[in-house]
Parts: sequence; C-alpha cells; structure tokens
Amino acid sequence: MSAPQRFEPDFLTELFRDPLDPAYAAAARRRAGRGPEPSWLRATGRTVSVLTVALVGFLFAVAYRHVVAGEPESSRTRAGLVGEVRAKQAESDEMQRTAEALRADVDRQRAALQGGEFDRIRNLSAAAGLGRVRGDGVVVEVRDAPVETDPLTGRPRTDNPGRVLDRDLQTVVNGLWAAGAEAVAINGQRLSSTSTIRAAGAAILVDFKPVASPYAVTAVGPGDLDRRFDKSTTGQQFRALTRRYNMGYSIRKQDNLTLPAATDPQLRFAHRPGESVPSGGPTPSTTPSGGR
Amino acid sequence: MFMVLALVVGIVLGVVLEPTVPVALQPYLPIAVVAALDAVFGGIRAQLDGIFDDKQFVISFISNVLVAGMIVYLGDKLGVGGQLSTGVVVVLGVRIFGNVAAIRRHLFRA
Repeated sequence: MSAPQRFEPDFLTELFRDPLDPAYAAAARRRAGRGPEPSWLRATGRTVSVLTVALVGFLFAVAYRHVVAGEPESSRTRAGLVGEVRAKQAESDEMQRTAEALRADVDRQRAALQGGEFDRIRNLSAAAGLGRVRGDGVVVEVRDAPVETDPLTGRPRTDNPGRVLDRDLQTVVNGLWAAGAEAVAINGQRLSSTSTIRAAGAAILVDFKPVASPYAVTAVGPGDLDRRFDKSTTGQQFRALTRRYNMGYSIRKQDNLTLPAATDPQLRFAHRPGESVPSGGPTPSTTPSGGR
Repeated sequence: MFMVLALVVGIVLGVVLEPTVPVALQPYLPIAVVAALDAVFGGIRAQLDGIFDDKQFVISFISNVLVAGMIVYLGDKLGVGGQLSTGVVVVLGVRIFGNVAAIRRHLFRA
C-alpha cells in the first residue's frame, strides 16, 4: 500500500512562508547523504560562482548606466529647444531694432525732402502704428489669478478659471480704443490695425510673438482715458472678474509713455517696380482679427 | 570575501567598459536586474543558513534571468507585457523581501 498522498501548500503560500529556493535545502541533504564532494569539483563550482557574482555586478553597473544615460535624454532635447527658441527670439528682436533704425533713417530723409508734407505723413504713420509714439496715457495691468492648489493632492490645479485669455486682452484693447486711445501696446508690443491677439495652447500670441502674465496694456490717449476706460463696460467687466475669479486688474495714469512701432505690415497688393506681384494673397500675419 | 571582491570587480568592469545594451535587449534589463537581485539575496541567505551550494546558486541566477526575460518576451508578444512584468516583479520582490528578512534575523537576531 502506498503512502497517503500529501498535498503541498500551493506556490504562493509556500513563497510567503519560506522564500528561499527549496533546492538549496535539497542540495544540502544530498551532500549530507553522499559525503563531501571531491575538491576539484568544489573548486570549479566556487570559480563559476565567483564569475556569476562578477556577472551580476556587471549587470548592475550596465543597468545603472543605462538608466542614467536614458534619463537626461529628454531634458537635453528640451534644453536644446529652449535655447533655439531664445536664439530665434533674440534674432527677431535684433531685426526689429534694425527695421526701426532704418525707418527712422527713412523718416529723416523724407523730412529733408518734403518739409511740410512730412508732418502729415508722420502723424498718419503714428496713428497706423508704423511710427514710435510718445505721450501721456494709461497702463492697464491684467494678470492671471494665482494658481490654487488642490486640497486633496496638494498639487496645483490644472484648471484656473482666473487665467487671462486672449479674449480678455482683446476686450481690454478694444475698450481702450473705444475710450479714445491713439496708440496701444501689450507688454511693449505695439498694435496696429492688423495686429492679432490669439491663443496658442496656453500661451497668448500678439502678432505671433508670445506674451506672458502680467500683461501690461499701455495706451497713449487723452487725459481722461483712465476714467473713461474704468467707467466703461469693459472696466466694469474686469472689476467683476477680479471679484469673482481673483484675476488681477489695475489701471493707472502714466505720463511720458513711449510706444515702439509695430511690426511692418506685409504688402499685399503693392509691390516694388520690377518685382513680381506678391503671391499667396493675404498672409496669416496680417489677417485683421485684433478685435472680435 | 571572494564574492564581494567579484561583485566589485564586475561593477568596475561595467563602469569602465561602458558597454552599450542592444536595443532588442533593453526592455529586459530591469527585469534581469530584479532576477539577479533575487538570486544574490537567495545566495546570501543560503550562505548564512549554512547550506550554500555553488551549482544551485549559478543555476538559480541563470534560470531566474532567462525565465524572467522569457515571461516578459512572451507577455510582449501577447500584449500583456506590462502586467506580466508586474507579476514577475511582485513574485521576485516577495522573495527578495523574505530572504532579506531572514538575513536580517541572522545578522541582528531580530
């Protein structure tokens, strides 16, 4: 008669009770039963063990290096992109400065040529945003509401209802125009009649250049511009936004503001004699959507 | 003693030689490391229990790494690679914890 069948505990129970590989115990029992092994066999086993341990160390080092080498790859790419963006921005600023200097040169030469006519042109180009404007006016400052932290996770909340949208900036600018402003700039970016204020993801682009909170909308205009703006529906709307969403809004008078010229509008129909007619029709950068 | 020395030598070799891991093997590297850790802690525990066996240690290391890699490979082919790796990590992790606890009892009597 055979011995009664014994049921081994299942694998997981065994694993939790005694995590050591049972083969170690089995090998020890075998050794005890058979007596010590010959010394050459033991030496070989020891050598192989040592080699295995060296292999384990090698594996650890390789894995560590792999992880460390893989991690900064993404941040390196990001840093490279950020640097490229900065360089391009600096380049664009430099070109803008050159354009301004050249424009001043053109103005001077025009003044030398035409005398009386020059003042009219200068006034017109200032109104059109093509020339620098200096004068008294107001600074309207709009800023995002501070980001709330989620009370559960302690992380900043992703949705911020008090964030300034492109539409808010458009409203401010339109309100300033309506209150009699003669020239308007956002964070030093002069607006012309064809300027755009748009959102691209979370960023706001003015004429395709990003601007960030706090947004300072400067406007040159009549002396009572601040009162007129503050009393307008736009001013009331922003005071309500401040109360409701904690968005930052302030308006103050400031004398002696200097607003730079806006970026040159691209010619759409005119062209230099001898050149072919500009192709492609209206380009996106001159689409009139500064307001709504 | 030799074992510790061998481990250090292996690490130094890995640092100095700067080997590149073939792309095909890269997904198996973390699992292989966990499997190797299991074999090493099992070996240390057996040593402290006085039943260490060279053959057993070498075979457990090789089979651990191979089986773990094979399970992950199979899981990848079946579309459950992530879950199977988790399973491997859980089982090996439990064993590592248990063995480390036994080592701790040996060393500190606590």
